[in-house]
Amino acid sequence: MKKFLLHIFGLLVGLLLIMAVLDVLYTQVYRNMTVRSKFQFIRSFKDKKIDYIFLGSSRVENGINPLLIEEQTNKKCVNFGIPASKLEDIYTVLQLLDSYNIQSEKIFIQVDYIFNVNERSNILQYQFLPFIRDNQKTKESLRYLDDFNASYYLPFYRYCANDFKIGLREFSLSVAGKKTKLVKHNGFVPRIEVASMKSDAALPSEINANNAAFDRIDAYCKKNNIDVVYFCAPFMKETKNLDFAEKLQKRIPNLKNYARLIDNDSLFMDGLHLNARGATFLTNYMIADLKLK
Amino acid sequence: MIADSCAQYANSIFENYTEMSTLSLILGALYFTFQIYGDFSGYSDIALGTSKLFGIDLLRNFNYPYFSRDIAEFWRRWHISLSSWFRDYLYIPLGGSKGNLRMKIRNTFIIFLVSGFWHGANWTFIIWGALNAIYFLPLLLTNSNRNNLEIVARGRMLPSLKDFLNISGTFALTVFAWIFFRSNSVKDAFLYIKGILRFDFELQMLPLERYSVELLALILLFIVIEWFSREHEHPIFGKHKAVKVLLLLTGIVLLGSFSNVSDFIYFQF
Repeated sequence: MKKFLLHIFGLLVGLLLIMAVLDVLYTQVYRNMTVRSKFQFIRSFKDKKIDYIFLGSSRVENGINPLLIEEQTNKKCVNFGIPASKLEDIYTVLQLLDSYNIQSEKIFIQVDYIFNVNERSNILQYQFLPFIRDNQKTKESLRYLDDFNASYYLPFYRYCANDFKIGLREFSLSVAGKKTKLVKHNGFVPRIEVASMKSDAALPSEINANNAAFDRIDAYCKKNNIDVVYFCAPFMKETKNLDFAEKLQKRIPNLKNYARLIDNDSLFMDGLHLNARGATFLTNYMIADLKLK
Repeated sequence: MIADSCAQYANSIFENYTEMSTLSLILGALYFTFQIYGDFSGYSDIALGTSKLFGIDLLRNFNYPYFSRDIAEFWRRWHISLSSWFRDYLYIPLGGSKGNLRMKIRNTFIIFLVSGFWHGANWTFIIWGALNAIYFLPLLLTNSNRNNLEIVARGRMLPSLKDFLNISGTFALTVFAWIFFRSNSVKDAFLYIKGILRFDFELQMLPLERYSVELLALILLFIVIEWFSREHEHPIFGKHKAVKVLLLLTGIVLLGSFSNVSDFIYFQF
């Protein structure tokens, strides 16, 4: 029995040592090597000043071309849109800008049907996990996870538990220096596809009275004197319940409503997302409409 | 590590086989081949190890089956407990390989069809069993079913060309039969095979956002480790045990599939 227990103890110690070494290795690679995720991209702007920052979901990531804004305005602009982001996630990113001392003249936040959503994006969660020990904000932003304690205290657990997203494959691609599109276009991910059919997307028929995360975003911006512009990106014209955007405008009076801006379906890749041509159209329109020049 | 990693790819390919290229379909069958082996062999090893903790020695259930040089050898090395049970309680009472030609053929088909039916009431399992009977019959009828009793290439690093070709041929036949075993229906299995015969070798991104070939490196690593372990029932034991254990633990931590854990396949049987 003693031999058996010693054997098991030895295995556990060996396993923990391996996990500790791998944890350090993975974390260093994600911290210092190739920028592949949107969060790594945001983090790479630590201690820098950016004139215009765009926040939101994939509807921002695929819909706003910051290089076009830079070209026309001579202002430094980045697209920090993260796919599947909800308002809670946007609030987290907003606070992280402060944690990483990323300063900005103006921040644009895309709000749409996510006003009715109180969840968080798991995509952002995967992107944050390697940086759980980066600062208090990254730590706090992941505290809602069921396995937060294991992720924070048990070395390498977070890489194992999320191996499909931040495991060996992603690690290898980082080591190999394989970049993603987002760095090339300042965070903008252009899509070349053209919508092949009419949109069957539907917005909610009713709008919630409020959204706690949005209220926090608004209060945070006011408190920190952040010049914020809320806007709603275009939807394909066949999208059901498009009047949701007008209802949203009643909740957010200063919202720039571009929901019905584009009636040409060929500028979309699907009902909710613009393709590269659509992004050029919207970006140009916003430059003029918001007098960014 | 092997089974669950393979399961993700195999499931993605088998569930979307109509959109898959020949290359992806072949890989899908290959991945399932290693999924079911890793799954069932690993599951058996857990049972063996747990029993050993209580002082009970169980018979090994797998003995490097994919290095078999013919189907008869494969069935001496795959799911040994069930094969032995069928041999002792079905095949031999039926007369085994004794009797006239008709009896031999009948007994062979009975044992393999029952083996197929044991896995479930689906024609896919019956066809899988029938295919194995068809593979086995020529060996039985030419009295060559007990030709390969020794460990392949014992004491040598590489197999002879003949052994290599025999292993490859047996493996290909096994992979082909697993297509029926894995498919949801016989129609799906035939359409899957029809898809393979389209001969379009396009490299595809699977719905799980991985290229179909990506897992091949892991499979190759696994084959190499298996090959050099084939003469040992407990390859971890012996020289450099601590180093081997550490390497194995590192492999599990690095390559294990922890976020997509599948049930053991044999739980359903």
